[in-house]
Amino acid sequence: MSIVGKSITRIDAEEKVTGATRYGGDLYEKGMLHVKVLRAEHAFAEIVSIDTSAALALPGVCGVYTAKDVGGTNRHGLIRRDQPVLADTMVRYKGDPVAIVVAENDDVAREALRLIQVEYKPLKPIHTFEEALAPDAPKLHPEGNLMGGKRIRKGDAERALREECEIVVEDTIETQTVDHAFLDLESGCALYDGDMLTIWVSGQWVHEERRLVALALGLPVEKVRIIQPATGGAFGGREDLSIQCFVGLAALKHPGHKVYLRYSRAESMAARHKRHALRIHYTMGAKRDGRLVAAKVTVWSDEGAYASTGIAVMRKASSHCTGPYRVPHVWADVYGVHTNNNPTGAMRGFGAAQLAIAYEGMLDRLAQELGMDRVEIRRRNVLRHGEPITTNQIITEATAGECLDRALLQFAKGIDPSVGDDLAAAQRVWESRSYATRAPWLRRGYGVSVVCFGLGYGDAFPDAARARVRFNERNELEVYTGAVEVGQGLLTMVVQVAAEALGIEPERVRVFAADTHLTPEAGSSSATRQTYFTGSAVKLACDELRERLLDVAETYFGVHPFEIKISNGILTKVGDSGKRMEIDELLSEARRRGVSLETQALFKPRTIRERDEDGLSPRAFVTYLFGSHICQVLVDTETGEVRIERHIAAHDVGKAINPELVIGQIQGGVTQGIGMALMEEVIYGSDGRILNAGFTDYILPSVRDVPNIEAVIVEHEDPTGPFGAHGVGEPPLIGATPAVLGAIHDAIGVPIRRIPATPERVWRTIMQAKAEGKWQDVDPRWERDVKR
Amino acid sequence: MKLHVRINGEARELEIAPGAVLGDVLRQLGLTGTKMGCREGHCGSCMVLVNGKPMNSCLLLAAKVEGAEITTIEGLGDVRNPHPIQEAFVEAGAVQCGFCTPGMIISTKALLDNEPHPSLERVREALSGNLCRCTGYAKIFDAVRIAEHKLAKASGNGKSTRRPHRP
Repeated sequence: MSIVGKSITRIDAEEKVTGATRYGGDLYEKGMLHVKVLRAEHAFAEIVSIDTSAALALPGVCGVYTAKDVGGTNRHGLIRRDQPVLADTMVRYKGDPVAIVVAENDDVAREALRLIQVEYKPLKPIHTFEEALAPDAPKLHPEGNLMGGKRIRKGDAERALREECEIVVEDTIETQTVDHAFLDLESGCALYDGDMLTIWVSGQWVHEERRLVALALGLPVEKVRIIQPATGGAFGGREDLSIQCFVGLAALKHPGHKVYLRYSRAESMAARHKRHALRIHYTMGAKRDGRLVAAKVTVWSDEGAYASTGIAVMRKASSHCTGPYRVPHVWADVYGVHTNNNPTGAMRGFGAAQLAIAYEGMLDRLAQELGMDRVEIRRRNVLRHGEPITTNQIITEATAGECLDRALLQFAKGIDPSVGDDLAAAQRVWESRSYATRAPWLRRGYGVSVVCFGLGYGDAFPDAARARVRFNERNELEVYTGAVEVGQGLLTMVVQVAAEALGIEPERVRVFAADTHLTPEAGSSSATRQTYFTGSAVKLACDELRERLLDVAETYFGVHPFEIKISNGILTKVGDSGKRMEIDELLSEARRRGVSLETQALFKPRTIRERDEDGLSPRAFVTYLFGSHICQVLVDTETGEVRIERHIAAHDVGKAINPELVIGQIQGGVTQGIGMALMEEVIYGSDGRILNAGFTDYILPSVRDVPNIEAVIVEHEDPTGPFGAHGVGEPPLIGATPAVLGAIHDAIGVPIRRIPATPERVWRTIMQAKAEGKWQDVDPRWERDVKR
Repeated sequence: MKLHVRINGEARELEIAPGAVLGDVLRQLGLTGTKMGCREGHCGSCMVLVNGKPMNSCLLLAAKVEGAEITTIEGLGDVRNPHPIQEAFVEAGAVQCGFCTPGMIISTKALLDNEPHPSLERVREALSGNLCRCTGYAKIFDAVRIAEHKLAKASGNGKSTRRPHRP
């Protein structure tokens, strides 16, 4: 292959480095009307009345709108339409929107917000699972506070734990609420010209956003057009609607005027959904030789105020509860509980990330109990080709073990470059890893993780991508895709796939993306799915066009099309480069003969819905991705601070269409995983307000917090993906967090049960270990290695 | 009130509100390459050079830069004629969503203008005020090193032959 597999420069890089790229917030023009949102004063309250008269009387205010002004269902939500555009009867979290103001300028809009009088009847806010499930708890929704559940019933875990297991470990692990914290704040504009409502706001799935906006605001779908501006990160945080309905409603009320809205960081954090905080009770049982036998898992998930993608996250949690390991008996229950916290929904890792922390943490506990090496226990249990994963889906290419080997080789090479590809030598380097540090209170630790991820929506949820391609009059290939670029490099991937499939130069490809009226639906940029889905759709469309072109070329070459190849825009006869034809010539010939130069393709692989009674499915996900990480940390046991010395991440991406972009995805995902492991946590006050809604207190990993992340690309071509590729987006985050936590556990000898492992939590964990007599002031491994 | 500044080499007289921050003033002039990610001085997306020093323009009152020389990302180069540091960020693959990129480039410029061959720790220090949510920073370090070499070559001082460092 000449273009796929090459690290060509991403097509949007030059505009981005010069500041020319226009994100939603850059679309402001003088004369636009300003929109501002009034949010709930209470986390949980009935709305008694809203009086907007004082706000309306303020000079410069063009309109104030509440739920009664919304023409449609006034509801949105990706799975259940339960979230009001503007709250009507009740507010359920502090970020719930109650009214919008449209004004001539920002200051007036802000002032008008203060003049809106809302009378509430406050209820006691619910923040914990216990409060939500108390018999007398007020209900957030008519169905009650238990939002739903997912389960796995495979084998007989209860009996196996009792009778078959020779060792059982059990623990409760709590994960935190995490914010996506993309840097490009929610912002954009809208215009209603009396016929069409056009919205320029970044999301992750323009066509779904169009459906949701149309339904909520009461417009026919074809009268809503969504155009994605450049987007500064998403990570799941743009999957739910953000400001689309606010600018849409404002534009509808003020035809002919462009309206503009931009969140502050505080508002962005207060309004947006978050990563689910989970409480995971995990019981894992094994034989004395480390072979896993059974897992019993109960998960409580904080769903916050609205459903969002919660039920799908619960499914990802249940279906990934034993990771890439062979566990014959699995019993899992996942319950989603509504609280008055922010709604929780999609974020990179989508439930699989939290469960990886649990199963990897339990495996480390088992290894510790058994006195077994943490690499060894994983080797014994990772799936082999043709074995069933948690949901009983057979994994034909189970490359988790291969990823572990590659991570280990990379680890060893960093210490002894002569290891090369000698796995036995790498194993020896691993076994003699050093715990020596400058002082006994500085403890080193090594963590290992092996993870899996089912790509796409799965479970028969409609999952498809379409693409249209055509040669224009300048003989450029135009590719139309509804998929959104959010920073991951999708547009460049599309160029490479199209150029490779047609045998043309990448410079000849023009991509038109993410405009509901110009491009065919491609599904969301989420679930690690766009390289696989849109890559496939683009390839299918290009393959079709190529076949058509080769039929035309047959006349010229006088051979069957199978014997003609196109490369770099030139057609030649296979094995005879003497006779050649430029693609431009071929295109002219095709036009002369009336052959259409446009094709469209649909890629819609089938998955099979889980059975309700046991959560099993022969094909829950289209394909599975595997990865393995090794993390080396230094823990200052006096302060609880953790410094990451090395982090290695090996991922099977099928085929790296653009290796540099893949490495960028791995390094970025690992960094977010480090953030989740060590520092990021949304903290709610007792009134339901987020106490750290800003970057002063919500701490993101900076250049000082991450080492040079060593990304290892494993390529095990996936025959079902474009040129063997499948995906990379989420697994690097999923693998990173448990590897960091495992390394801390290794360093201090006891696990961290609640994350993030902030210095305070690490320190308290050490204090507790001391109190329980589980602490040695000097690690014997340190003594041994210092002498060495 | 009136503000007299040079922006990207051009003398300007601007009418500003007394409380306006420099970032907003620049963006209202159409210089939207200066991004606003937090308005708390933490993310560094709004970084500009004020008399050669990198400053968070989201916190800096415009009134305080009277008489100053301001350089924004647009002042470094454009798509047709990019600055070597901008080229370096492209070559290193240091760009993903690109929102932090202008600020990163400004911080890099401030560093390399003063220290053509900074140590690893100095690079880390210089970039510690710029957050990136996408890249994991490794390729940004690469970009700084590539820029260092490009600039050394351009100034005829080819003494640095070090390979790109990693953090």
